[in-house]
Amino acid sequence: MSLTIYENFAVKAEVLSERYGATVQISFSTKSIHGLSRIGSDPYSVLDKDAYGITVDAETFCGRNVLEYHGVKAGGKVFDTDAAAERFAAFIRDCKRSSVHLCAMRAPRLRWDTKRTDLNELMLQTGKECISACAGTGCGYIVIQPLFSGIAGADLWQENHRYYSALGKMAKQTGIQILMENQCRNTNGHLARGVCADAVVAAEWIDKLNEESGAEVFGFCLDTGACSLCRQDMGEMAAALGRRVKAVLVRECGGVHEASRLPFTGRNVNGQDVDWKSLVRGLRKTGFDGILIMDAGDTLKGFSHLLRPQVYPLIRSVAEYLKWQIGMEKCIREYPVRVLFGAGNMCRQYMTCYGQQYPPLFISDNNPGLWGTMVYGVEVRPPEVLKELPEGCAVIICNTFYEETARQLKALGVSQIGTFSDECLPGGMD
Amino acid sequence: MMHKLSVGVQSKNIISDDYPIEGFEMLKRAGYTCCDFSLNSYLPNTALYEHRRNDFFDQPLHKLKAFFEPHREAAQVTGVRINQMHMPYPNYVPGAPKEINEYLLKVVAPKSMEICAFFECPYIVVHGFKLAGALGSEQAEWDRTEEFLRSLAPMAKEHNITMCVENIYTDSGNHIIEGPCCDAGKAATRIDRMNAEYGVEVLGFCFDTGHANLTGLDFEAFIMTLGKRLKVLHIHDNDGIGDLHQIPYTFSRGRENKTSTDWDGFLAGLRKIEFDKVLSFETAPALSAFPDRMKREVLGFIAQIGYYFAGEVEG
Repeated sequence: MSLTIYENFAVKAEVLSERYGATVQISFSTKSIHGLSRIGSDPYSVLDKDAYGITVDAETFCGRNVLEYHGVKAGGKVFDTDAAAERFAAFIRDCKRSSVHLCAMRAPRLRWDTKRTDLNELMLQTGKECISACAGTGCGYIVIQPLFSGIAGADLWQENHRYYSALGKMAKQTGIQILMENQCRNTNGHLARGVCADAVVAAEWIDKLNEESGAEVFGFCLDTGACSLCRQDMGEMAAALGRRVKAVLVRECGGVHEASRLPFTGRNVNGQDVDWKSLVRGLRKTGFDGILIMDAGDTLKGFSHLLRPQVYPLIRSVAEYLKWQIGMEKCIREYPVRVLFGAGNMCRQYMTCYGQQYPPLFISDNNPGLWGTMVYGVEVRPPEVLKELPEGCAVIICNTFYEETARQLKALGVSQIGTFSDECLPGGMD
Repeated sequence: MMHKLSVGVQSKNIISDDYPIEGFEMLKRAGYTCCDFSLNSYLPNTALYEHRRNDFFDQPLHKLKAFFEPHREAAQVTGVRINQMHMPYPNYVPGAPKEINEYLLKVVAPKSMEICAFFECPYIVVHGFKLAGALGSEQAEWDRTEEFLRSLAPMAKEHNITMCVENIYTDSGNHIIEGPCCDAGKAATRIDRMNAEYGVEVLGFCFDTGHANLTGLDFEAFIMTLGKRLKVLHIHDNDGIGDLHQIPYTFSRGRENKTSTDWDGFLAGLRKIEFDKVLSFETAPALSAFPDRMKREVLGFIAQIGYYFAGEVEG
């Protein structure tokens, strides 16, 4: 029963974002995919290769502690990096063979609680190897963690400047963009804002490096999990970084420990633990058209492998929902003229937030009692008048009966139909 | 050892209205030379959030002054200076009846300023409005706070009071997230702009260590960005999850059993900006948590931490 609901929603969400022509791309982290060996053929996978891309998280292949245990015997064995590299290469070959689009890669990362201060050269080397591995795969972005361990605050820029400059030269040659990512800093178990967590500083770094590179070689990947752990307002951070944000790592943490859970799953009697509305608003402001990297690995692992195929549609639906919400303002903007359908609360919300910027020609509603009345100074007219809309005019559905209303509009000959939602507007939802 | 920096603590849970001299003497004996007067405790925030209020601030100003006269005298007699004061908060309650918010704006806030002047207290801590979610952005939220501050700025100028905005948090479900004034860069710009306009320091900053810990701020970087705009401190500790207002160094979360709050960063920041004001603690719950008979010892212990801090900051 629940599967049917989720599948229906997924289809609905896809239809909505398609209608809007949203340009945000969805990709799934390899951590969110069970059964990577069947990447191109598993009908129960999260991935619909025609609609979505994939983001390779190197840790899927080499483990979470590959850097941490470098040169150290772990469990009596030295970590076999060659075997990990071979697994990775085989996966890339499989993706290619199966026409799975590789959107981005996340290079191995040093743990925030690391005690190792001798690994910065190794990180540089690893970064170079990852860029090299991505070359020719169609992968557009590589997320490379900034250096932090063993570096005094005053030296962070200098050390990272050297590091990213070296990586940037190689990335430019291979046509790949390097994305920095916001980090946490561990103070004896407590996580606070680390390197690149200050949007203003991160923006300065990116701009400086791009200026020196003479091209847009650097950008930003906003890790919503790190934001949550550092108690940051994700929307404000996204807005401050602006167009530098090329990817958003979408994952929910409980706020205390690092985790990769599906958005909206952290809810209690006091409300939603993570303010996803704020993220949506922030990304809307910037006109975000990059990649949403869905990492719900821990949610997935929490379920029995027998149930996981039923979790995938929900992950997809959440991704589509976020994509739809983020792209909404941009799509409203793209219609030269518009009419709103529905004169209720959602219409009022539209008028409050967008009425001045994107005013409708008029409002249409099925209720004859409203015809001729005014809503925020705009006249309400019967649906029949929609038969004679001016060239390029779209009808924006301002009620939640999207599909029923769309059918009615099509029957009236309306070809450009958009949908509006007031869920993520200021003060909306909750 | 003599220190240039003074050490203070909040009056809540120490100074009673019946015998204020007793509390001030206790402070003096414990080693404090300053006191953060908890005016906020006369209009509890818990009631305001439930859209209720008491009638304390309904009293005319001369009665309020008469009420606080024993407190002022006790401070003078003991030589414990009231160096800072906390205005009741919140200053705006989203969703509350209009009368409540008008009362906070037009009665509580101006009378708080008058009481601050009555104590000859140079700093009053003011909370910003928590409206980012409702208005859609931090800037829109600040605009409302600034409007409120501007309504008080002429009084601040007249009485030589600096209103200090504080880094505070808000919540999303059970999860604490950054709230008003958690961006030091923006705070610095706004403080400078308002002060330039009024020609005096009507606005400054109160750095709250507990809130900074909860919202994951980088203590040292934050303090250094503020520089001389930092006038007042609220020093207290927590587990990084709840706003517990406990004694510094009392929380550790790792196997090494070391403090999980960045006190080194805090001290380094103060040292670098050559902070020369009051190391003021806001640890009222620690005092009510310990048995009453231990209050003097607990107060003394907190003061000792203060003097340790002073030594580290002064170098």
